[in-house]
Amino acid sequence: MRLELGKIFIKDVQFGSKTEVNKGVLTVNKEELIKKISGDPRIASINVELAKPGEEIRIIPVKDVIEPRVKVEGNGGIFPGWISKVETVGSGRTHILKGAAVVTTGKVVGFQEGIIDMSGPGAEYTPFSRINNVVIIAEPIEKLPQHEHEAAVRMIGLKAAAYIGETGRNIQPDEVDVYEALPFFEGTEKYRDLPRVAYVYMLQSQGLLHDTYVYGVDVKQIIPTFIYATEVFDGAIISGNCVSACDKNTTYHHLNSPVIEDLYKYHGKEYNFVGVIITNENVTLADKERSSNYVAKLASMLNLDAAIVSEEGFGNPDADLIMNCKKLEVQGIKTVLITDEYAGRDGASQSLADANPAATAVVTGGNANEVITLPSMKKVIGHVEPADVIAGGFAGSLAKDGSITVEIQAITGATNELGFNKMSAQGY
Amino acid sequence: MKPIIILTNNPIVIKKYQKLQLITQGTAVEVLLKTRDLVHLGHKLLNHPLAGSVKPNETPYRSLMVSQNAEQLDYTSLSLIEGAIQIYAQFYRDHPTPEWTEKVLQDFQLIDLTLVTSGYQSFGNLS
Repeated sequence: MRLELGKIFIKDVQFGSKTEVNKGVLTVNKEELIKKISGDPRIASINVELAKPGEEIRIIPVKDVIEPRVKVEGNGGIFPGWISKVETVGSGRTHILKGAAVVTTGKVVGFQEGIIDMSGPGAEYTPFSRINNVVIIAEPIEKLPQHEHEAAVRMIGLKAAAYIGETGRNIQPDEVDVYEALPFFEGTEKYRDLPRVAYVYMLQSQGLLHDTYVYGVDVKQIIPTFIYATEVFDGAIISGNCVSACDKNTTYHHLNSPVIEDLYKYHGKEYNFVGVIITNENVTLADKERSSNYVAKLASMLNLDAAIVSEEGFGNPDADLIMNCKKLEVQGIKTVLITDEYAGRDGASQSLADANPAATAVVTGGNANEVITLPSMKKVIGHVEPADVIAGGFAGSLAKDGSITVEIQAITGATNELGFNKMSAQGY
Repeated sequence: MKPIIILTNNPIVIKKYQKLQLITQGTAVEVLLKTRDLVHLGHKLLNHPLAGSVKPNETPYRSLMVSQNAEQLDYTSLSLIEGAIQIYAQFYRDHPTPEWTEKVLQDFQLIDLTLVTSGYQSFGNLS
């Protein structure tokens, strides 16, 4: 499985008469885009706005962020199970509009969160402030059930990303990265002297507004399974999760998984990155036991030496994280966990809802309870009212001058548990 | 069909699962405390006492499921419920649950219901 990722660097976005990429500038024909993504009877109206780095714009509440990509060679198409058929992806060549994103906004539930500030102190906490965003505002028909609204907006976002991604089909990329995933036995033979490392990719799967899909399948219905790392780059995993802004993995995060990218950096040199085990974070304890048992079993089938486990969300999934850790470590598989923390505003409380002595190596994305005041912005795209009721917000969060005082858990991607952020700690 | 008891303070869970054995409480913390009592009596916790991403001080609703049969004390259940009670206290310390509007309350009720239903279905039950 060999995949070339051709990156076309986008430095600006604008509206125009033709949707195209020219010299690093993405032009979007607004009417044509709206036409392409319209037609769902559950949606009353669609509007599109642009939000560029440095602008005084607040996008709220953010549902998903999706990177425009197009499959130019190889099996299948982008976002299999949604936009393309369920062909196995992850080989051939894919072009990416690097520096552009589709952002979907919509008040699916009353307390929904997700802020992207394009400038000011909040912009420092979200990677999407540094990207040229095409924002889709899709308003539902009256009395549309929440899960239907989420499903409609999810599909609209994927359609928009595929439509915009198509502009990169015939563009010469600025940079091409090559990723190769070998069948297990072949890889083991080729790198026989290197330790075997796998990535255990935990996907949020708690139900309404907390779902993730692989090839169109709701992850809560799967038992853990193998996937080639390159499949993820073609959109095999997409997000249907609209809560927990700071530590949800948007579709953009999945497409750009830094764990996978970084594991490839030393693959074949310091270790053999054998592949990815995807698993879920279900509601019941029996499901958690079954899935973590299965992860441990697959890890033993791969004869692993080490594993990296990443989480999505907080609370209940901490139990899955620790179960996976314990069951891997007991087999002698060195395990590193990636999570974030809810350690209280003073940072002094226990960070996770579960703990175990086996968890000896833990990487954090930051403390989601830290408080920040976001100044008012000239323009708000979406609905500002949720600011008072979002996670990390509280009554009075939204001041009369338009500023918002919230915990950083309200900011999209602030403490991302794939490590797709810039937060760090310094000791004095 | 797995015999279960649902402990809840969510009106739409009470309505949907009225044919099952229900124990209703006033607040989310009271649901947790009552669950701990049952765990001490030997009932086994069936779903995780914390929600997936909705934070304890955000939603006023919580629904938990325990086994109908009481056997020996299950230490895993006890550890989970005690841990959750501590986490609730930690989150409430910074901020109590706000006075939500009716619309927001309804949305929280729905999310809690979907968590219960997801678990209930997972036990092989039908609805």
